[in-house]
Amino acid sequence: MATATKERGALTHPDVHHLSDVNRDVLKILSRPGKGWWALFALACAGVGLFFGTWGYQLYRGLGVWGLNSPSGWGVDITTFVFWVGIAHSGTLISAILFLFRAPWRQSVYRLAEAMTVFAVMTAGLFPLIHLGRGWLGYWLFPYPNSRFLWPNFKSPLVWDVFAVTTYFTVSATFFFLGCIPDIAAARDQATGLRKKFYSLISLGWRGTDTQWHHFGKAYIFLAALATPLVLSVHSVVSWDFAMSIVPGWHATIFAPYFVAGAIFSGVAMVITLAVPMRKIFGLEAYLTIKHFDALAKLVMLTSLIVLYAYLSEFFMAWYSGEEIERSSFWNRLFGQYWWATWIMLVCNGMVPVLLWFKRVRHSISALFVISIFINIGMWFERWVIIVTSLTHEYEPWAWGVYRPSIFEMSLLAGSFAWFGFWFLLFTRLLPPVAIAELKEVLPPPLRRQRKEAH
Amino acid sequence: MSDGIKRRDFLKVLGASGAGAALTGCSPQKVERLIPYVVAPEDITPGVASWYTTVCDGCAAQCGMWVRTREGRAVKVEGNPNHPVSGGALCGKGHATLQHLYNPDRYGGPMIRENGTLRPATWEEAEALLAQRVQGAAGNVLFIAGAMGPSMSALADAFLGAVGGRRVQYDALSDAPLREAMRRAFGTDALPRYELAGARFLVSFGDDFLESGPSPVEYHRGFARMSAVDEHGTKGHFVYAGPRLSLTGLNADEWIPIRPGSEAALALGMAAVLVASGADAGPYASLLSSFDLGAAAQATGVGEDTIRDLAQRFVSEGPSLALGPGVGAHHRSATAAHLATLVLNHVAGNVGRTLHLQGGPVGATRPWADMEAAIAAMAGGQAGVVMVHGANPAYSLPAASRFTEAVAAVGFKVSFASAPDETSALADLVLPDRHFLESWGDSAPHPGVMALRQPVMQAVPHFDAKQTGDVLLSVASRLGHALGGATFYEYLRGAHQAMHGADAVAFEAAWREALRKGVSEHPVEGAGAAAGLLEPAAAVSFEAPALDGDGDFTLVVYPSSRFGAGEFANSPWMLELPDPVSKIAWHSWVELNPAAAEARGIREGDIVTVASPHGSVEVPVWLYPGIRQDVVAVAMGAGHTDFGRWGTGKGANAMALLPAVAEQPSGALVTLATKVTLTPTGRRQRLVTTEGSDSQHDRPIAPAVALAALGHGAGEHGTEGGHGPLKELQGVGGFVPVDAGGGKPEAFPLEGARYGQYAGTEAKARWGMAIDLDKCTGCSACVTACQAENNIPWSGEDQVLMGRELHWMRIERYYEHVDATHASHVDVRFLPMMCQHCGNAPCEPVCPVYATYHTPEGVNAQVYNRCVGTRYCANNCPYKVRVFNWYRYSDENVPEPMNWQFNPDVTVRTNGVMEKCSMCMQRIRDAENRAVLEGRGKVPRDGDIVTACQQSCPAEAIVFGNLRDPDSRISHVVRSERTYRVLDALINTQPGVNYLKKVTFHEVASGGHQ
Repeated sequence: MATATKERGALTHPDVHHLSDVNRDVLKILSRPGKGWWALFALACAGVGLFFGTWGYQLYRGLGVWGLNSPSGWGVDITTFVFWVGIAHSGTLISAILFLFRAPWRQSVYRLAEAMTVFAVMTAGLFPLIHLGRGWLGYWLFPYPNSRFLWPNFKSPLVWDVFAVTTYFTVSATFFFLGCIPDIAAARDQATGLRKKFYSLISLGWRGTDTQWHHFGKAYIFLAALATPLVLSVHSVVSWDFAMSIVPGWHATIFAPYFVAGAIFSGVAMVITLAVPMRKIFGLEAYLTIKHFDALAKLVMLTSLIVLYAYLSEFFMAWYSGEEIERSSFWNRLFGQYWWATWIMLVCNGMVPVLLWFKRVRHSISALFVISIFINIGMWFERWVIIVTSLTHEYEPWAWGVYRPSIFEMSLLAGSFAWFGFWFLLFTRLLPPVAIAELKEVLPPPLRRQRKEAH
Repeated sequence: MSDGIKRRDFLKVLGASGAGAALTGCSPQKVERLIPYVVAPEDITPGVASWYTTVCDGCAAQCGMWVRTREGRAVKVEGNPNHPVSGGALCGKGHATLQHLYNPDRYGGPMIRENGTLRPATWEEAEALLAQRVQGAAGNVLFIAGAMGPSMSALADAFLGAVGGRRVQYDALSDAPLREAMRRAFGTDALPRYELAGARFLVSFGDDFLESGPSPVEYHRGFARMSAVDEHGTKGHFVYAGPRLSLTGLNADEWIPIRPGSEAALALGMAAVLVASGADAGPYASLLSSFDLGAAAQATGVGEDTIRDLAQRFVSEGPSLALGPGVGAHHRSATAAHLATLVLNHVAGNVGRTLHLQGGPVGATRPWADMEAAIAAMAGGQAGVVMVHGANPAYSLPAASRFTEAVAAVGFKVSFASAPDETSALADLVLPDRHFLESWGDSAPHPGVMALRQPVMQAVPHFDAKQTGDVLLSVASRLGHALGGATFYEYLRGAHQAMHGADAVAFEAAWREALRKGVSEHPVEGAGAAAGLLEPAAAVSFEAPALDGDGDFTLVVYPSSRFGAGEFANSPWMLELPDPVSKIAWHSWVELNPAAAEARGIREGDIVTVASPHGSVEVPVWLYPGIRQDVVAVAMGAGHTDFGRWGTGKGANAMALLPAVAEQPSGALVTLATKVTLTPTGRRQRLVTTEGSDSQHDRPIAPAVALAALGHGAGEHGTEGGHGPLKELQGVGGFVPVDAGGGKPEAFPLEGARYGQYAGTEAKARWGMAIDLDKCTGCSACVTACQAENNIPWSGEDQVLMGRELHWMRIERYYEHVDATHASHVDVRFLPMMCQHCGNAPCEPVCPVYATYHTPEGVNAQVYNRCVGTRYCANNCPYKVRVFNWYRYSDENVPEPMNWQFNPDVTVRTNGVMEKCSMCMQRIRDAENRAVLEGRGKVPRDGDIVTACQQSCPAEAIVFGNLRDPDSRISHVVRSERTYRVLDALINTQPGVNYLKKVTFHEVASGGHQ
């Protein structure tokens, strides 16, 4: 135990004695859910009902039920879209990039992060549809063959967005599912009844043979390599929704790296937000150790610095450009009608993460949880600031305006969390939320340990 | 071949089932059968508009109108260019008369009051009842009517003569003080004819002639010709002296913020200065030579120097013209103020030069004193039957007049209102009149001008209305009186034939010609008027008028440029149109100077109680730098209690604050009569305004150029980006790559890219527009014209509050310099803003579905049925001219039959799509089609295409045409050194809409952009 920890480096799992313990600890999560889970699931279902109910009403009644107006053609809808796309980024980062770089601490969290990614993309992907004035024609954004020979406008960043999000969903879902297969097989071996049938079906006949492991390894590394550029490209494309426009406050070359860093920042914070309660509820202290959280916190620290740098460089560039309209836009951002949103953003994303420089904070699970919540809030407001403060204070002073979200937009926002939570709750009970097979790889092999114990 | 299905059978089945699926799948709505004309009407060609001439009855100005009808429905009204009053233009209210025609609140038919409620009746029943009651009234019939055409007036008088009674003309806005002053000064009953275009120095003593004068459209034209810079680089000077800047005042070059009611002091002061330097004042010489300039300065609140300087310029910069207080700003010395103004004009030698004693408007208004007598008669039980036609005194008179109580004392009340109003609510019998577009009639707006009014369509079938002339004739014949004709049409024709002479054939031709042209002019001999000033018949006091009460503020109640005296308050177009000055829509406000507000701790949007000794209203405060600190102002026309679904309960009725006092000696109702107090109620409301910021923030949005700098290529914000040939970037062929010169900096801007090549097209035209901001007065007629032409619904008060107004055009109003503390220059920039049809349009590349794209003719087009509603185009539009259909506004807001007004040539948009100015694409296509039919190819002649805004503009500020044709009018116009394109220099949008900078007399700041 303790010796094994030392031998394999600082990041293995002190409390795990045997490989079979992993199976036991992880697969027990898949047992019958308790009352707490059902309560949460009921809440999520209600929220999903609210979400689709709101959407349906909005389709029936018109977008007017929202608070949007001229000049603010976008608001909570696109803010929430970018927020969820951003959340989706850390999953692939942790699972693919850290896999390629052989970061030794990813095994415990990556399944969780990947699941989060897939569900976040599923949430985000709805918003471009939701925000359409005529949502039932959303398929026009796809280049499908049609008798009128009409194609989408490939110059439009919104079309790029369609490709970026659908590609990202396809790849991340495939990657997620592929990584799950050996663990689903493990679950299958323990399950009975209907569950057994289900797991048998989706384990795709996994038997753990050498050939299968060989193919699995190849496929996994290829998909990891395929997913890696997406981490950078998808959010770059999302940033171009803004950067390609001429709106003061949007039109900036820094947007792509700024958005990618922000996405990872928010995604890792969301991983912490999700991992802390899961660790507590499912008794995964042995698997998600302080060391893991420490590593996540450092990633948050790094990306927070990049994001803060981007904020400051935007303000600097607005001032340094000497361009009055740009200056006015950023002055308005800090001191205009939405000053509070900007300051929430700066405090939550730039100042609160400074606490993570202290090791004591990084090693306090509850502090990390609180900080991660702050970051989640701050990152939602970052998108709000970018979208709303810029749109409401553009070129024509006569057209400056105010945007106040309506109850319908807020229920869509709340409903999107419920939709995400719905899938995540199902995930915790249906798929092994910790990667069993990969964890076993980093545990000391049984034979060696036995030999040591014999000494 | 096997025994299975044969190929042909298979195809049959496939076809049949496919058709079935298509039929069932297509539409959830019930299938409606389309029934074609069995016998097609001869004068209707489906898809082709018929135009009829008539005369607008929206106000006393009586502008000539062209009415466009499609398939028998009036869809658009325009100014009749043959008409001497309108000269082809029309104001916003003129357009809104269409909404009165299709007003869903109109009475469905005659109504008889039984047991306290009105019940529908037949015309037979209603007319029989009226005949019986009129007979029973035994000669005591009182006919209260607004201004009517000559024939209708004659008929009404003949009717009253036959049955016994009298007619009382009631004009909510009366120009009696000016008439009285004209009588006293020149011995004529006519109004003067102002030759605004001939003046070079204009002083208005509170006359808001652009909004509420006797003829706003006509005066607009004259004013624009006077004040806009001409080809010689000169322009007329306009000084506004009054306590509050109206829209007219905002168009002034200088504002002298005199105390309310001190116009006479200023005018006489100026005249006295002129007399002192030798001018002839005739019988007023003694008064003027002893005039105390110091006292005048004291009374007006401006310095003696200012008065002296103004007087000298009044002569030296002439020909000059002074206009007296407007029809809505009558105080207790209004006649004296007008007289003083006339004396000033006389002293300056303007009479006969810019002020003509003959040829002025003839539509005589009557003073309030007439009505006062009628009220006394009614209250005293001397009226057996009272009939009200074309007037709404129960609303437009101050409550203190006790009109409502007096009417209640009359045994039988008849209203001819076509839609419910406060007066018809009191009636025992409602005999709804037809709208003027469904009626015959005539009008004589000027001496020697006679215009006919003809029905342009079958009466709207939803409403069983009958023209009042027909009713009077019918009732008269029931009572055994023959008044000359069975119908009003016959009566009218007979009256005109009598005027014309006996030759029936010649008359028929003249009649047809008058109907076709819309107007007939015949010479008149000049009415008798004195050559010089008359001796004052009675002493006139030029003292400042007395005011009731002792509040902090003097109350100005002015006629609204949107509602008039309230007649248009149930028109959603007028309600949604932002007031040209305050930019507030739908509700009322009280104007308060920001400094005065700050001193009292009042903020904008605070709801205050405005209380006079006569009543009080609750209205939100709007802070306005263009009003004196001791004055507050409330517009007339709002606050109806019974005026249809849109007009009822909107805003506050300012008349509640006024006394019912007649000005002496003219008898006009005093509107500037009282002092008021402002007490905050503690409640607040957000103003329903379309204004985002009233300052340009030094941005090159509406720059100006000083007159002195003209000709030197200078001007505010420089000329960069304003000049040079128009640039075009992309066509339907998309972007055409050009040689970038290896990327060397000197290769930019890439010439080929900037001038643009339209790959694969041979467009002959680049449609563009030019708007002269030196002419634009901000009157907003174009906004309503555009709304009428392009099927733009209204979004409603709550939606405008949210920032969802639907207008394709808006008039931005930026203050540059407005100072209420002392006489100084005024600099307010009005900017009509609509889609700029950018050559390099930011909206186009961002649309994911090509719903917005560039036509080969340079128009930025919007394809409604391709739009999915991402709103990215609106976000990326730097001008913010794209409007989104958040709801099904056209369905939900526009009730039957108001939707009859929709223009069949323009798509009615559904929810979820973006829309914007199309440069009246339907008119471009129409002109092209006509050109093809006339064998001229697909190229319309210059001037064939007139956009709706251009057509309506009374200031003639808008020019539309082909920028590619070097000889077109627009090409000539945009060659002006004043031409600029908004934001083009900053963001290279290359708009097709060009603006000509406003020209100021004062130096203009250079702003932040060169």
